[in-house]
Amino acid sequence: MSFLGDITIGQYYPAESVVHRLDPRTKITLTMVMVTAVFLAPDFWAQGSLAILTLLMVKVSGVPLSYLFRGLRPILIILAFTFVLNALMIPGAELARIGPLSISQPGVLMGLLLAIRLILLVAIASLLSLTTTPIDLTDGLEQILSPFRRLGVPAHELAMMMSIALRFVPTLLEEAEKIIKAQMARGADFESGNVIQRARAMVPVLVPLFVGAFRRADELALAMEARCYRGGYQRTRLKQLRFGTHDLMAGCAGVLLLLVLFLWRWW
Amino acid sequence: MSARDMVRIAAIAAVYVVVTMVFAPFSYHIVQVRISEALTVLPYLSRMAVPGLFIGCLLANFFGGLGLHDIVFGSLATLVAGYLTARMPRPYLAPLPPVLVNALVVGWYLSLLMNQPFLVVASYVGLGQLVACYGIGYPLLLFLQARPFFRHLLSDRERV
Repeated sequence: MSFLGDITIGQYYPAESVVHRLDPRTKITLTMVMVTAVFLAPDFWAQGSLAILTLLMVKVSGVPLSYLFRGLRPILIILAFTFVLNALMIPGAELARIGPLSISQPGVLMGLLLAIRLILLVAIASLLSLTTTPIDLTDGLEQILSPFRRLGVPAHELAMMMSIALRFVPTLLEEAEKIIKAQMARGADFESGNVIQRARAMVPVLVPLFVGAFRRADELALAMEARCYRGGYQRTRLKQLRFGTHDLMAGCAGVLLLLVLFLWRWW
Repeated sequence: MSARDMVRIAAIAAVYVVVTMVFAPFSYHIVQVRISEALTVLPYLSRMAVPGLFIGCLLANFFGGLGLHDIVFGSLATLVAGYLTARMPRPYLAPLPPVLVNALVVGWYLSLLMNQPFLVVASYVGLGQLVACYGIGYPLLLFLQARPFFRHLLSDRERV
């Protein structure tokens, strides 16, 4: 049983590209624009154009397509369900028949449309995480959320906690593997039994993981306090975010895309 | 917010992310169970777990979710559920909010994306949550609660 063989954290794919160099704020905003665009796209043509646009962005970013497809693995079941259920449930001109089940043409089309939409949604989010380092991302998020500070959104604290959590992840992953192996050496069984038995077998993993996490957390807290950390107020940054010409151009492209799709849909 | 609180919240978030990653391949037949959802019982013991789980869910969904809607709505569902769990009067009620809130919220956007009846998708999501939250979360909660060491470790308040 291997646990950590193909786990990647943060997904970041280092490369020199325009997409990588964009300001994280621009990228987060553009991701939202693209997702909105996917939901606005009314038909195959619009959906297809967005797919081509996404592929183009992937190409420009220099991220290999296989990396993008890897991100699709968690949704394979949902994809299959979506396609099959729609193909079977929507009534219309019959394409094929398997026993009592009839596959309809509008159903297949709808299933395809929804499947493409799901793939696009995941691909767009993956592209963001593949081309932005986690630290850039939390920085960008902090800046985007900072106007909401007045409404009580703790932008700096949130970003800081996200960064710390990300910093803990690799260490705790290693620890989790050790704990699992140690429990297995003591006869723990994670693979057989019914749902409840298998579920209960997780408790002896979770408990030591917590103890380890909290021990490390308290050490880090002590180090932060020793260095007089006192939150975001008047704090300077090692790396300043800069909004450049590329960002302006990308932003304009995003606005244009939404405009085109609005017209396509409602005019 | 003190540095200590921030770091502890981050630690809970990191545990959520790690458990999501390590147990990603675990699913029981057709019902998808996210083992890390078992941790949603923690707000019953510690209020720090509410933001902790929110951040954890945000990061986990970011690195392997269904896209932006999952990142935004999935994490907000966890936040609301955590808030409610922290206010549950009895331990056996603690896993209830994450089951219900996730079934409603995740069921809602999944049913839209899959073009399937809301009730079917919501019960599907709810079933997975039921296994994670009551199957693992509840025994975990009882275990942690019975030990003063963990109560002290996690707690920012005492329960009777």
